[in-house]
Order: sequence, then structure tokens, then C-alpha cells
Amino acid sequence: MTRQEEPGKRHPVLEVRDYSLAYGTPTGPVEALRNVTLSIRPGRTLGLVGESGSGKTSLAWAVMRYLPANAIERSGRLELLGEDLRAKSLEEIQNLRGRRISMVFQDPGTSLNPVLRLGDQVAEVLVRHRSLTAKEARQEGEAWLARTGISRPSDMMNRYPHEASGGEKQRVVIATAFACNPEMIIFDEPTTALDIITARQILDLFDDLHDETGVTALYISHDLGLVSRIAQDVAVINQGEIVELGSCEHVFARPRSSYARNLVAAVPHPDHRIINTEPDDGDDLLRLDGVNVRYGRGKNVLDFLQPRREMVHGARDVSFGLRAGEILGIVGESGSGKSTIAKALVGLQDFEGSITFGTKSYSGRRRIDRTYRRAVQIVFQHPDASLNPRQTVGKILSRPLKLYGLAPRPEWARRVRELLRSVLLPEDYAKRFPHELSGGEKQRVAIARAFAAEPQLVICDEITSSLDVSVQASVARLLVELQQKTGTACLFITHDLNLVRQLAHRIAVMQNGDLVDLFCSSEARAPDRHPYTTQLLDAVPVPVEPEEAAVTA
Amino acid sequence: MSELIRHPTGMVGAGLLSIIALTVILGPFIAPYDPQAFHPAVRLTGPSAAHWLGTDQFGRDIFSRLLTGASPTILFGVGATALGVLAGSIIGVTAAVAGGWVDSVIMRTLDGLLAVPDLLFTLLIVTILGGGIGEAMLAVAVAFTPGMARIARSSVLSIRTREYILAAIARDESRAYIIVQEVIPNAIGPIIVEATIRVSFAIMIGATLGFLGLGAQPPSTEWGLMVAEARQYMYRSPWVVAVPGIAIAVAALGFNLFGDALRDAFDPRRRRR
Repeated sequence: MTRQEEPGKRHPVLEVRDYSLAYGTPTGPVEALRNVTLSIRPGRTLGLVGESGSGKTSLAWAVMRYLPANAIERSGRLELLGEDLRAKSLEEIQNLRGRRISMVFQDPGTSLNPVLRLGDQVAEVLVRHRSLTAKEARQEGEAWLARTGISRPSDMMNRYPHEASGGEKQRVVIATAFACNPEMIIFDEPTTALDIITARQILDLFDDLHDETGVTALYISHDLGLVSRIAQDVAVINQGEIVELGSCEHVFARPRSSYARNLVAAVPHPDHRIINTEPDDGDDLLRLDGVNVRYGRGKNVLDFLQPRREMVHGARDVSFGLRAGEILGIVGESGSGKSTIAKALVGLQDFEGSITFGTKSYSGRRRIDRTYRRAVQIVFQHPDASLNPRQTVGKILSRPLKLYGLAPRPEWARRVRELLRSVLLPEDYAKRFPHELSGGEKQRVAIARAFAAEPQLVICDEITSSLDVSVQASVARLLVELQQKTGTACLFITHDLNLVRQLAHRIAVMQNGDLVDLFCSSEARAPDRHPYTTQLLDAVPVPVEPEEAAVTA
Repeated sequence: MSELIRHPTGMVGAGLLSIIALTVILGPFIAPYDPQAFHPAVRLTGPSAAHWLGTDQFGRDIFSRLLTGASPTILFGVGATALGVLAGSIIGVTAAVAGGWVDSVIMRTLDGLLAVPDLLFTLLIVTILGGGIGEAMLAVAVAFTPGMARIARSSVLSIRTREYILAAIARDESRAYIIVQEVIPNAIGPIIVEATIRVSFAIMIGATLGFLGLGAQPPSTEWGLMVAEARQYMYRSPWVVAVPGIAIAVAALGFNLFGDALRDAFDPRRRRR
């Protein structure tokens, strides 16, 4: 705060004027940013929201003056407190980075050097930029770690990155960013790689430190709900252009551009249910009884050398039922065992206990037969990885028809066209290869493949999490439509609580391999919820309601 | 393919390879002299209008010998590599798919073999089998097998846990379908790249064996043998050694550059840019 010079009160801290940037590629330049103009006044937080490829990170790199060699700066000015950043020499920029502008990255696992102690990494910045001695720097660093809420800072100083949790590491990165009292900090999706509850804690920390130091911040995120909670101003960027700029209340309540309006409307909101059917009454279609999954069963010849290898429970004694036509959501943080259950259910994972499907019980992975495998289909998280890159979409979709003998050969082409239509893709996509499709389109193909088998249950393992917000919404709607049309039951695994509350009939909550809670979506806020459920719900900000969106949704 | 040509290395590699291929196919037909014909009057001469690249110790035309020698030399390299790649891929894919103790036993054995240098290993096998071009080819193939098996295995392992493979298992596809339709088409890229680069090594090992008298036998025009036969006249007429030596180097370089460019073209991260 010694550096807060008075001119800062008048100037915006960061001013970007008419800035355009392109990247040179073998096929000609690709525009990354087009005439971007924005400014951040002292002490404010500007949220920069955009989907992947919108240029939001390019802007951050441009401000940090860390552009790749093929970047072409077309025009515009970048000013920090009135000083032109583009005119500065490399040496001046190096003195500036970390001291006057610093940056917090998305993944603390890769932004920290794994071979240096955390303390040394914090101290390094202080020695470099504030000319402290090594000893002073360590003391100062420790004080900063304490301010970021790390319980035993001196202990943490001596640890290596792999000895700290993701949340702790991100706290260290944040401490490093704040340590030199910079005028401005750029946050590039700092909570995206973290678990829900940890992410919430990091956000709270950001709020506290922001109030305390009055730093100016540029907060980059794809998550509108999150930005509406922490930023005062927001800029929406689409294909390198700022399409909306203003205060948070304004932009979210009355978005002017159609892009921003769609983006706001696409954010899942628990009150806007997108299903209107009820599951069939009667017996359960699927029942899990005391399903256990253990990892670490030794298969290696050399295992006798280390006989006491620990067994880890992927899922412990999980029991629940699922009725025909029901959508059951499973939520939990990473490592909670939700994907393990999915893998056990489709016979990719050894398990103990029993799975009853219809009238037949299966007591282990090897007992699962083809009838079951046809009736239970899975859609995976990453559409890039779940389609064989060497097969055409047509071949991928006709495979279940052939394998299960669902249609005679001459019918395949017609059925493939039907399937493509049902997932709202053009029929001529049958001739394309997966790499010619976008992420959302690939995920539609994966969904079509699952439904091609005419299943009774489709397991969706985080199918929307690697997609952009607007694509996410359309994929979720498509799934629900198909589900209602075919009457298929669905197990919808996700970490997005707002989304699951929109489309699931019931929600199961998992924590460390245990099923801790199971309730109807409408009773999410009932007082008798498990404390962990409440904690999860509290950690997720419910987005601000746009005024018209309530009608369109 | 157009990706390949765009890289300068790819362009040079492809250019050299086409020259080599033309020589292999057309060489014997365009050779101006019979490669085995003696011309006692003009022994060990330098380049001249009659003999473009000079003559050797028996007065045979080096240019003609070089053109006819391309096919035994190059086909030796390609053939030996093809055999080695085939054997190595079968072993590597088997190990990766089987997993568990089968994998451990196969791979530890191959690790032991990998510790022996290629040339030494080849020499050992040739010594057991006896000299000759067929035996030498087999020896090089055997020497290449462990390395290729390792590459095939790691290539399969890296895609074995991809979600499309999991999806196939979850659909209850047969093991054969998964290996033939899902695994191999995706694992073959790195294997082809490595094979192309290895052809250059095979050519050099073949030439070395020829030079040591363990590969092609006189009066073959194999390039390595040409170098060996001319060795004692090296000081009187450097041409006899230099010409086939340079030819070997150029062929090896061609395969090597082309292989490098192939690897870049197959690597999606490099392709993006």
C-alpha cells in the first residue's frame, strides 16, 4: 500500500484502447482480439466472461506482455496508470511483472515449480522485486501465507507443491501474487481446476483480500454466476470482440446484445426445471445393493515386494434404486466415487455386491452379459476421447445396430440419419470424421450412439463439463428431450449442482465413496439434508436472474 | 501429405526418397555399362566423359555399379525393417493387450536384448546363421524387434485407456474387434514413423555388414560391399570409396528426414499450428 500513488485515483489502473491482436498461422493470420476497449478504475474488479476461444486469455497475456512469437499486434494501446505498456523494453516489463501486475493461473498444480519449496517460491518474488534479504523475504512470505488463511504457514513454507492440496497451492499462488502489493492482479479462472467447496473458499479469500488491499483486479472466467458474485463490472467477450460492458447488475438483468442474452439464459438455474414428466411408478428398473469398489488390487508380478499395498475404496456400500423413466442425478466432488459407480454399472470396473437390472441380478463384473450391456449405455465426459478418430460418424453410429442386431444392414443408413436428426445434427454428418466436428457436436454423436442401442438406461458421466456454457445448456436440453421421448431412465453424473437441480427427479450425493444423501430435487433445501449436501449447495452461487430470461426459459 | 511437403525437412526428405525410388526401379535399365564388365585399360580413373564417376580397381564403371546397387541396398533396408516392425508390433501389441505377468515377462526379456547394441547383436546372429544377404536381413530384423516391440507397446498402452476403447468394452465388443478396429488404426502412426527412421539404420547396418564381408557377397554391387572392396585403393583413387559412401549417406538421410517430417505430421499438437 506504500505504492498506492495518488495519480492512481484519477487514472484508470488498466486501460485498453482499441486493441487488436492476431496470430500468424500457416493458413494466414487468425484474429484473436478485435478493437477491444475497456478500463478498470482503482479498486474495482472487472469480470471478463467468454467461452473457450473467445480471446479472454489472449487479452491477459497481452497485458502481461507475454505474447507468443507469432502474435501480431494490429493496433491499440495498453496502459497501466497511463504508462504505455507496449512501448516498454523487455527489462522494464520484467521489473513490472510480479511487482506492479501479477497473475494467478487456473491450475495451481502446474503454475508452481514442483522441485522448489513453496516458501522459496513466495520469497523469490519478494527478493527479486522488493530487494528484501532472503531472511526478510521468508518472514514476509510467511506472513502472507497466514493472511491467505493457511493454518500453519511456517510448516507450509517448507513443503513441496506435491505435499499440499489443490486449495492450499492456490492460496500460495495468491499469496505470491499479492506479496509485492501490485497495482493490479489478473486472475485467469483461478477456481476452475478446484473442487466446489475449495473453490468457494478461494472466492471468499479473494473477497477478503480485495477488501483488505483494495487491489484492482481483472477476473477472467467462463462462469457467469461466479463473476456476478465477485465483480462490480463485467465485460462479455465473444470471438475477440467485447459485446457487452457495464456494471454487473446491468449486464445480468438487462443484457443488450443477443450473445450476452443467450449466455445469461444458458446459465443453469435450479428454479427453471427443464423436465416435466414423472418417472413410472412401480418396481425399480435398476437396484444397487451394497456395491463396493476397491482400487489397488495388485496385478503386478513385482507386488510381492511390497505386500502391504493399501486398498483404496472407490465406492463403499452404495445402495440405491432407479425407476424406469427416471433421471437420477449423482453429485459430488472429484474423488467422491461418482464416476466409479458409473464404471461399475457399465462393467468397466470390478465390484462386489449386486446390481439388479429388471429381474436379473449380477454379482460381479464378469457376470454382466450382453443383454445388460445393450440395455445400459454410457456417455463419457470428453467427446474428443470417446469417439474413435479413425471412424466416420456413420460407422460409429451403425456399430451398435450391427453389434446388437437391431436393424438389418440395408436399414443402417436410414437409421443413422434418423439418429443424427434426433440429436439435431445434419444428416450428411454421417460422412464426417470426429475431428471435423465441434465439441458439442461430438457430444451429440456420443449421445446418439448411446441411444442407437435402444437402451433402458443411459449413464451420463459428466457429459456437459468439458463444454461451454451455451453448448452445455443445449446438450442438457437435448438429453432430456430424448429421455422423455424414449422413456429411458438416466443416471446423470455431474458436479454442477445448479444443472442437476434443473433436470433430475432425484439427486444422490456422494462423498469419499459413500452415498451420503438421496432426495427429491424439490427438497434440496429441506432442513433435514445431510450437512455435506448443504455445504455443497451453499458453495455454488445461484446466478442472478435476468429479467426476460425468466420468460424465455 | 500436403502437411508433409510444407515442412522443409519433409520436402527434402521426400525429394531424396523419390530420387532413390527412381534409382531402385530404373537403375539397372539406365546404367550405361554392364556393372560387371571389366575394362582393364581404364582402372581406377577419376570421372571422365566415358565414365561419369570413374572406374574401380577392375575398370568397372562406378556409375553403373551404383545404379544397379541401389536395389539390393535399399531393398535390404526396407525388407529388414519391415520384418522387424512386423515381428516387433505383434509382440508389443500382445504384451500391451495381455497386460499383467505376460507383459512383464515379455518386456523384461526385451529390455535385456535392448541392452545389446544393434550392430553387435546383428553380428552375433550373422555369426550363428552364416553370412549372406538373406541371413543379414534376418539378423537386422531380429535386432530391430525389441525396440519396435517397445514402441508398439507404449503406443497401444497410451490409447488403451481412451474413452472410445472403454466405450467399446462397455458395448461388449469382442477382443479381436477392439484390437483390429479400435486400437491398431490409432496406434499405427508412431510405428510407421519409427519404421521409416529405422530404414536408414538398416541401410547403414547392411552396408556395414557388406563392408565386413558378412552381408552381400562379391560380385554384388551392394554399396557397402563396394566400399569394402575399394578400401585398399582409397589413397590412389578416393572416388571408389567416396561415391558409394555418399550414396549410402544420402539414402539414409532421405529416410531419416522423411521420418522426422512424418512424425511432425502425425503429432496433432504440431499440426494445429
